[in-house]
Amino acid sequence: MGSEFSRREFLAISGLLGCALPLASCSNLNGYIADRFGGGIPEKVGVTNGQEIDPAFHLISRAGFGPWPGDVENIKKQGVNNWIEEQLQPEKIDDRLCDFRTKRFESVFLDPATCYEFKREALRKDLCRYHLMRSVYSKRQLLESMVEFFSDHFNIYIEKGDCIYLKATDDRSVIRKNALGRFRDLVLASATSPAMLVYLDGKENKKDGPNGIPNENYARELLELHTLGVDGGYTQKDVYEAARCLTGWRLGSESKRGTAFFDPGFHDDGQKVVLGKKIPAGGGQKDVEMLVDIACNHPSTARHIAKKLVAHFVCEEAPPALVKRVAKRFSDTGGQIKPMLREILYSNEFRASAGSKLKRPFQYVVSCMRATGADTMAGDEVLEFLTRMGHGPFQYPTPDGYPAEANPWLGTLLWRWNFAFALCSNSIETANVSLDSLCAAIGLEDLESIKKDPERLFAYLSGRRATAQESKAFRAYVSRRDFKDEKVRDELIGLILSSPAFQKV
Amino acid sequence: MPSQSRRQFLKRLALRSDELSATGDKTLVCIFLRGGADTLNMFVPYADDTYYKIRPTISIPHPTSGKGKDSSIKLDDFYSLHPKLAPILPIYQEGRMAVVQAVGTDNPTGSHFETQDQMEHGDAFKKTSAGGWLARYLRARFGNNLTPLSAVSIGPMLPESLRGAPGASAISTIDDIRIKAPCENPAVVAETLSALYGSEIGLLSAPGRDTIKLLRRVETLRAAQYKPAEGANYPDSGFARGLREVARLIKSDVGLEVACVDLDGWDTHFVQGSVDGLQAGLIETLGEGLAAFDADLADRRKAVTTLIITEFGRRTYENGSLGTDHGRGFAAIIIGDDMRGGQIIGRYPGLNEAKWVIGPAGLEVIYDYRSILAEVLTEKMGLPNTSAVFPDFKPQKIGLVNGSAGLKKTAYSAE
Repeated sequence: MGSEFSRREFLAISGLLGCALPLASCSNLNGYIADRFGGGIPEKVGVTNGQEIDPAFHLISRAGFGPWPGDVENIKKQGVNNWIEEQLQPEKIDDRLCDFRTKRFESVFLDPATCYEFKREALRKDLCRYHLMRSVYSKRQLLESMVEFFSDHFNIYIEKGDCIYLKATDDRSVIRKNALGRFRDLVLASATSPAMLVYLDGKENKKDGPNGIPNENYARELLELHTLGVDGGYTQKDVYEAARCLTGWRLGSESKRGTAFFDPGFHDDGQKVVLGKKIPAGGGQKDVEMLVDIACNHPSTARHIAKKLVAHFVCEEAPPALVKRVAKRFSDTGGQIKPMLREILYSNEFRASAGSKLKRPFQYVVSCMRATGADTMAGDEVLEFLTRMGHGPFQYPTPDGYPAEANPWLGTLLWRWNFAFALCSNSIETANVSLDSLCAAIGLEDLESIKKDPERLFAYLSGRRATAQESKAFRAYVSRRDFKDEKVRDELIGLILSSPAFQKV
Repeated sequence: MPSQSRRQFLKRLALRSDELSATGDKTLVCIFLRGGADTLNMFVPYADDTYYKIRPTISIPHPTSGKGKDSSIKLDDFYSLHPKLAPILPIYQEGRMAVVQAVGTDNPTGSHFETQDQMEHGDAFKKTSAGGWLARYLRARFGNNLTPLSAVSIGPMLPESLRGAPGASAISTIDDIRIKAPCENPAVVAETLSALYGSEIGLLSAPGRDTIKLLRRVETLRAAQYKPAEGANYPDSGFARGLREVARLIKSDVGLEVACVDLDGWDTHFVQGSVDGLQAGLIETLGEGLAAFDADLADRRKAVTTLIITEFGRRTYENGSLGTDHGRGFAAIIIGDDMRGGQIIGRYPGLNEAKWVIGPAGLEVIYDYRSILAEVLTEKMGLPNTSAVFPDFKPQKIGLVNGSAGLKKTAYSAE
């Protein structure tokens, strides 16, 4: 990577950022850092111009949020397989620049009790901006993609009850911590995560008796959504028995506010039978571990998770043969996530599926900013576009998470187009693009050369050559515009980002 | 996925080919009076002497007070209308307005935010259902078949009631429905997009073409300079401008299912006024706006239902600073075709607040607000049942629509 910097310089900008954080001019500072220490637009960027979408372009578009200027070349240089292996070890990827950019969202690093001292609005903004910024700037793109996947799989709606105070902790210690680990650990962490205990009423789940009644809400979603899947072969009795296992988890107060603890007094400590497996009496707080093991070891869970992952990375109608292979990886490795991802990302099915999926609005917005090398602080204006398209981070009410399918998002085109034009004309306050540098980097030095070769811009942004019809449309466009003004270039790039090709991945 | 009626489905199929993928043929307009509106001064219980006793300076004069234009307008032997609501009197008289007394929530906190939040989520106290009630309605009724103009709120933000609705748009005017391209002559951009999406096959072809058609339709509307129907005199208020945009969208047949408009400022703790003053000004804005909207949509009455609610009513008595504090029950208004009009529906609970011990007092809540919302959805919007919108809630039959069974007409009486 060309953007390495020394430890000395690192400390220097650390100090610089530290004292400048309260200032309003931070977005400029970010640009300054990009200029000085890398992470901006490289001087020269290659363009892949084949008839089909370039495999490296496809890889980072699906396994991440699309290429940052120069990424495609770097992946090609490194080798597609090496890139995959590198991404599977995110801890070895230097991500300090992204850490810097996102450090200012201080509440996402705090424990729940401290979060309670913040206003809801401040927490909401920090969390959403942090999420968006990491998707744009992290070099650990596969990790961010999996974070998005599991944030939907273990959906938490931050507007419900106190979830807003608790989601940052859930994001840190459930989702991010385990996104490339073992599925079972992820489920277990989620089962007693304060945010989940609030979101699906686990904290209200108490032993049958004068003090309470079991609340089946979480237990049902655990089996229906998180593990076995709706047709996974569990019964209503299993839901009830699972709920009994989960009784007694509550949330603390005062300095322990928002922290989960086990209260044996509310726990049903009798024997349970879940999915035909016995959980002996007296298990206490170990019941949840046994329950999670039983659910995760069930063959339906391997199938369900494999199918969802394949649908996420390959195709809405997940190819059954690939699902079977991925499910086998799950079963063979005790639910390790990395082997499943390898199976998918190295598969022919994955390679053959380039350009066939619709980007959801979040991915669209992030990929636009990555493709243009935008300098963003992901402020309200950017988030508002997502909200308009019905895809604000952590804003999905029901536990099934934002739809993975294309259909629900087909009504969002107008706002996508307007986002593209707003971004390219620098009219979004907290997202700046430097299209001069971008065009120069791909070898279009002036407006005249852009007018002559709009296809080159298209190829850079889409990872393939324009079809005859696409070319015709762009030719017609440039012939009708007077290329004296940079606004026309901005509009042309906006148009390419608005075209069907860029909606897809 | 929530089911849709077979008719809707067939209709959409039929439309798919050459029309915008318009969905329903009815529009629900939700007006939220934020701040807690004192509906006792809008539908005045003039026959209850207590009303005048406990509101010495802010009551609305008796219909026979001889104060001319300042007298309230007699509706029946018990209720009269605030004179500033005169513009909507014809709607009431023509049987197109249902007014239900003593509606409210079980929320005892008296907090604007919590009570609004609860109502917009369609919940009982301390329950938090997923998303807004209107979003659940849209999902239950139409699944994913929604266009960018299926659900619109007028203003900068989407209200909580639309939270979770796919593609809901917050717009201040129809002018937002445009491509905001960097250069002059956006037609060039639209034509380029049209060419790009026109040659597309599969997934994006229909939505792309739909969106471009939608833009063209709105463009035509814009170019034509919207002219409200004869007799529709929108006053110069933000509220009226919002309603005007809603009317314009409805008449342009872009598939508008739900529109939300807010009217703020009803928190009249201090010098509320009577026939003039703070609250009277708001009432005037409301009345004139509604009357213009109604006249504008005179030929669309069957297709439009307008719901007007607030988070709570106010105390029955006037406070020490000539205003009213947060109360409980309020009168809900539903304007539509063929309503059970010409009367105030529901029992009059009297003005004695003594029975309220938890939270702020005020007019007793007899009818859960969700019964009203549910009945609007089933009777006016054609939703078969509301279990997906208000889970765990069994609505009480109110009888908002003319001829439907519901609450018996009761003689009002002052206690």
